Amino acid sequence: MPVIETVGLTKYYGKTKGIENVNLQVQEGEIFGFIGPNGAGKSTTIRTLLNFIFPTAGEARVLGLDVVRQSREIRAQVGYLAGEAGYYDDMKVKDLLAYAARFYKQDCASRIRELVDIFDLDVMKPVHSLSLGNKKKVGIVLSLLHQPQLLILDEPTSGLDPLMQMRFFEVLQEENSRGTTIFFSSHVLSEVQRLCHRVAIIKDGQILKIEEMEQLRSNQFRKVRIAIDSDEFNGNAIPGVIHAARENGIWHLLFKGDINQLLRFLSEYKLVDLWLEEPTLEEIFLHYYEKEGAE
Amino acid sequence: MTILRRELGSNLRGLLIWALALALLNFWMVSIFPGMAAEGAKLEELTEMYPESMMKMFNMDKLNFSDPLGFYGVESFFMVVLFGSIFAAILGSGLLAKEEDEKTLEFLLARPVSRGEIIRDKVLCWVIYMVLFNVIIGIFTWLGFEFFDVGAFSRATLFFLVLAPLFVHLIFGAMGFLSALFFVRRKAALSMSIGLVLGLYFLNAIALLSEDMQFLGWFSPFRYMDAADIVNNGGINWTYALGLLLVAAVMVAVAGILYRKRDIAI
Repeated sequence: MPVIETVGLTKYYGKTKGIENVNLQVQEGEIFGFIGPNGAGKSTTIRTLLNFIFPTAGEARVLGLDVVRQSREIRAQVGYLAGEAGYYDDMKVKDLLAYAARFYKQDCASRIRELVDIFDLDVMKPVHSLSLGNKKKVGIVLSLLHQPQLLILDEPTSGLDPLMQMRFFEVLQEENSRGTTIFFSSHVLSEVQRLCHRVAIIKDGQILKIEEMEQLRSNQFRKVRIAIDSDEFNGNAIPGVIHAARENGIWHLLFKGDINQLLRFLSEYKLVDLWLEEPTLEEIFLHYYEKEGAE
Repeated sequence: MTILRRELGSNLRGLLIWALALALLNFWMVSIFPGMAAEGAKLEELTEMYPESMMKMFNMDKLNFSDPLGFYGVESFFMVVLFGSIFAAILGSGLLAKEEDEKTLEFLLARPVSRGEIIRDKVLCWVIYMVLFNVIIGIFTWLGFEFFDVGAFSRATLFFLVLAPLFVHLIFGAMGFLSALFFVRRKAALSMSIGLVLGLYFLNAIALLSEDMQFLGWFSPFRYMDAADIVNNGGINWTYALGLLLVAAVMVAVAGILYRKRDIAI
């Protein structure tokens, strides 16, 4: 039984499309990446799974339960980390954690202590006085304190400093090795690459592609800029180049493939300068997945 | 029940401020009555100088100012009804709207709690609060009547005078719940529900002023719990009371149904 299964899931806000015909299957024990630019429909999908919003068409099941009719049972076993959450202003961190814990049947106190230690949280502070990163840490603890079977994380790393991000990923891997399934939404390709087994790519409310991480890793995208005086040089002629354009004497390339081959090719020319960068997801989408999706 | 416990605690200060302010005001009003009654004749003269419209608006044409209950009916009753209704509206709309406005609803909805349970706890908190609100004011008022030398009065009628506002409060609180569903922003919901209280209060006032406009009063909840009617009949009209309860219950039920079907757009 898949942990998350959506069939033709569609959500319109009035006439505005949120998501359309989303078909996903997330298996037990998987870390599943859900990636797409801002406004692509990631949060809409997640909110439908948790029944914050109602689907316009199609259906979805989480842990074998219907997202509309059995939402309460689903949420007892799911940990959710919101992209940007609001917390009660009149509470201290410990009050908020205790309030959350009261909703669950099991005793969460020892797990809360563990998590507070790991993330180095000051529980005596009022929630409203916390920085963005610390609020995120509170959100992480809230999503984990009841030892859920499924974690749904919406842009979990925004606002976290690199050290905390590392700890957070360690905790996620630990959770995963205990059997927790993780649904990880993000617009940063590299963090999904580090963690996930499979990844679904969403754009404009539609799933463009579902790929094994191995596959995606072999698709090493690089943004290449080349300053060169020669007019004979043609960026489009390089094997592995997906997109090339010349601007003010500088070639802008999007490259996918073995970086050594690229360097061998370039060694034939006299370059003025060379830059290699990780492309943003938007750039990859624009030149790669959109073309594939259109086919 | 987890949400109920939390709401009962976190709104307590507001309840105490509103209830005690009105309770002490009532207590003070009752305390000045013996002095005013002693100068009964002068009082009558004074009230005769008031314009007729004002007499009608405050029920002074139908109530005897030198009677303690009549005095209470003119001076205090409308404040408890009116300000209590504003409190009920603020509480009703705020209980629901604050979760959406402050984006805490996602926190709540991520827990294993159904929307029905959320609104049930909020409504329960509000009902308990409105009852407490009127009990606090009622006790202080009654103590005033017993403590100060106000002369003879009917305790039963006094009981109905302090009970009657509750029915009106419940109507406006229920309107608050409904308005919170149509206005996501807490301030908008608040303005809407307070606007309704004041608008319907003035509608009733207009109805009291002129024979031609009398029919308008029936569109205002205030018409159904009128101090002059209560004092002169020695009780409330139970048909009206149950009618108000029923309308409030229907509005809360509609709010509950809408809430369960609603897209939470934060």
